[in-house]
Amino acid sequence: MPAVSPPHSPKDRSSAPARTQKNFDKLYRDHVDLMYRFANRLCGETEAAKDLVQETFLNAYRGFKNFRGDAQVSTWLYAIAARACLRMRRKRKGEPERELSLDEFIPTSEGEFRLQIPVDGLSPEEALENKELRQALDAAIDKLPKKYKMVLVLRDMEGVSAKEVGTIMGLNERAVKSRLHRARLFVRRELSARGVDGTTTTHAETYR
Amino acid sequence: MAKRAAPRGEKRPAARPHQHGKGRCLHILRALSAYIDDELSGTICQEIRLHLGACPNCEDFVASLRHTVSLCRHTSAPILASADRARMRENILKSARTR
Ligand SMILES: [Zn+2]
Repeated sequence: MPAVSPPHSPKDRSSAPARTQKNFDKLYRDHVDLMYRFANRLCGETEAAKDLVQETFLNAYRGFKNFRGDAQVSTWLYAIAARACLRMRRKRKGEPERELSLDEFIPTSEGEFRLQIPVDGLSPEEALENKELRQALDAAIDKLPKKYKMVLVLRDMEGVSAKEVGTIMGLNERAVKSRLHRARLFVRRELSARGVDGTTTTHAETYR
Repeated sequence: MAKRAAPRGEKRPAARPHQHGKGRCLHILRALSAYIDDELSGTICQEIRLHLGACPNCEDFVASLRHTVSLCRHTSAPILASADRARMRENILKSARTR
């Protein structure tokens, strides 16, 4: 393993490996929950998410010396996780890695303009209490080609800015926004085509 | 689907007849993420609002896109159990030392 020389105070006379471990422990403690959430959203299931988190922090441990501190630590970790995720074999079903074109999202029949799910009059939190709806949303996101899913997860679920998503994924802001738009249209179409029954929630009252 | 009156009550200027052509809707569809993210200039926003007020299909569409994004923003994710957190840390450190 290459020598790691993270910033430390001159007073710190502990050995390099001890310092590395100390720095790592702080990094891990402060960011493991964030990375686990991100990994779950990317992988869609907990075991794969745990693998991704371990791979991410292992790469971070080895790459400490490459972290220049000109980006936020979270941005750096997101980027490591995104790269690791792209390398990981996609075992599950889902769309093949392909480009999404805007044309495929144009509704062709009247019913496709709105969501066939119980959301009217509900807060998003209330709507998501409907298990069927939550599953439909998860399935829709999971079906996205990876590079679109990553942008949607970072931007709309993790709340990362478009500029930062660009830094994480090595894209310009324009490309980020274009992918985001297509990813949202994809998920919207899935929710509109699938149709979720409202009877499992108590207050799902569709008033149209 | 029954045609509804524009709910926002915005009146289009008579000089700019609404185009029901697919091209207009398509043009709007391309800009909708930027529209709901509030990234467009005032003029373009106004143009889109006018179209939405007159085109129930596009209005339903933008509502459904807003709902979709809003659902994404509010999903929760599982929390790591502390035993898993500790076990994973051990795994990482072990791999870091051996590989
Ligand atoms: Zn329209």
